[in-house]
Amino acid sequence: MGSWDSEVEELKRRENLARVQGGKAGIAKQHARGRLTIRERIDAFLDPGSFQEHGKATAIPDYDANDELIGFVPANYVVGLGMVAGRRVAVGGEDFTLKGGSPNSAGLRKSVYAEHMAVNYRVPLVRMLEGGGGSVKGTGRRGGTVGEPIHTEPRFKIICDAMGQVPVASAALGAVAGFPAGRLVASHFAVMTRHTSQVLIGGPALVERALGVRMTKEELGGAQVHASSGIVDNIAEDEYDAFAQIRCFLSYLPSNIWQRAPRVGNEDAPGRTEEELLSIVPRDSNAPFDMRRIVELVMDRDSVFEMGALYGPSQICALARLNGQPVGVLANDCTVYAGAMTAEAAQKYRRFVETCDMFHLPVVNFVDQPGFMIGPEAERNGTIRYGMAAVAAAVQASVPWASIQVHKGFGVATAAHYGSDAYVLAWPSVESGALPVEGGVAVAFHREIAAAEDPEAKRNELENQLKDARSPFPRAESFAVNELIDPRETRPALCDWIEWIQPKLEDLTGPVTFPIRP
Amino acid sequence: MARREIESEVAGNVWKVEVAEGDTVAAGEVLLILESMKMEIPLESPESGRVAELRVAPEDSVDEGQVLVVLET
Repeated sequence: MGSWDSEVEELKRRENLARVQGGKAGIAKQHARGRLTIRERIDAFLDPGSFQEHGKATAIPDYDANDELIGFVPANYVVGLGMVAGRRVAVGGEDFTLKGGSPNSAGLRKSVYAEHMAVNYRVPLVRMLEGGGGSVKGTGRRGGTVGEPIHTEPRFKIICDAMGQVPVASAALGAVAGFPAGRLVASHFAVMTRHTSQVLIGGPALVERALGVRMTKEELGGAQVHASSGIVDNIAEDEYDAFAQIRCFLSYLPSNIWQRAPRVGNEDAPGRTEEELLSIVPRDSNAPFDMRRIVELVMDRDSVFEMGALYGPSQICALARLNGQPVGVLANDCTVYAGAMTAEAAQKYRRFVETCDMFHLPVVNFVDQPGFMIGPEAERNGTIRYGMAAVAAAVQASVPWASIQVHKGFGVATAAHYGSDAYVLAWPSVESGALPVEGGVAVAFHREIAAAEDPEAKRNELENQLKDARSPFPRAESFAVNELIDPRETRPALCDWIEWIQPKLEDLTGPVTFPIRP
Repeated sequence: MARREIESEVAGNVWKVEVAEGDTVAAGEVLLILESMKMEIPLESPESGRVAELRVAPEDSVDEGQVLVVLET
């Protein structure tokens, strides 16, 4: 009776060889750059001891004439399953201690497997990215077949499919270029470290060659560029902060679109009223106020996680909880162009609404929308197209939706703030219509104004007449809103609504008609 | 002594200027108020210091990213 002892021994030896990564020198080099190795990253990110690696012995081997193993280069991509706050996720990333993160053939197979694994096991996918994508040197042998068989499924299909089925979060933790940069943005949440990462389509050498522009990789794609470019949502102070942000992001979402977002225990009283809300919106319509403070006061204490604050900054997008129920929060920041919807704000809005819709997160929208951004730059940026895409995302969304009319609501852009069957609350500070009184008067009464003896005085008179007629009560009388409320009662009202929508949420699982694209 | 340039985050017009060159200001003190999309946006001093240069006057139009005030800190 023979045993398989020797093979099992050999297997263990190889698994240990694979764990060596780029060796002591490669690891020391990575640490000297102020960065963790992929195995350290995975350990720091996951619940302790929960990593279950897939493809432990994957490598590019070298055999001598007697079939003895004489060389063993580990696959430079590490992938597997593990737990985050007790929930399973798929996690993977390039091993930068080997060959600068450019995929070797074994590493490439595992990196493509990461998306398959997440879709197959219906768990969130977390990518720890550091690498430059394919190399001109290639990974194949000379003289053999080239390219992929024509019947192979496109490599990017699973990357895009995954985005429609499971939460995908990516961290840029070093230089991320080419294919890995594409992966970074094919995510529902992307974060980069402030000092140790750069994200580039093509690096400095390529840029200098193609355009004659000499720039460092930091200048081309450092955090100061991407904090407001929209390709990452947030900046992290270091790798540990990036992992904490991803763990936080995942806590609001279901593991896949067939499950419900996890409602957690909540110690913040649903009936809590806040005195500060009564006077937070100034009576002077042109004086700005702090919308983030409003959101903070209404949502469960310390539950607000904002994403993409510096991109399209007139629009605020955040995840939060109301009586333990995860919700997507939209709000306008009137300190930036009065909260107007720019092309960038509209794209951020669309992506966020699509993410909420896909994962069946109810939307709570604090409306202070003066309209689309206007002016020559806004026209050049094609604002109205992106704006209509934002409107489409909202009106076609299938999730329960609540809107709080905080202040302004003017023009077509306002349509983006209401889903179908929205529950609508208005504060006494609400103002709305086709156009704000000031600009609208100049347009609608231009003949009267021009004909007046003192056109300026006539315009002011007309504006004041219309402003005086602006009262919040007709909308309640006409049932144009569900309720006109005391702002202090906003949290209790929304927490009631959260209970009313539970039966609908129970039913709302599976694919939506239009999932998100990068 | 460090010089710090304070930029406008928005395009708009200068509505009111609250300080003069040579004034000492505290962190959070309003330097000037911009008017942009009909909102009055206060520009606050990011730190304490002395107003070394005031580069705009009321009714000037300003661009996003334009330096409005130089602070000596």
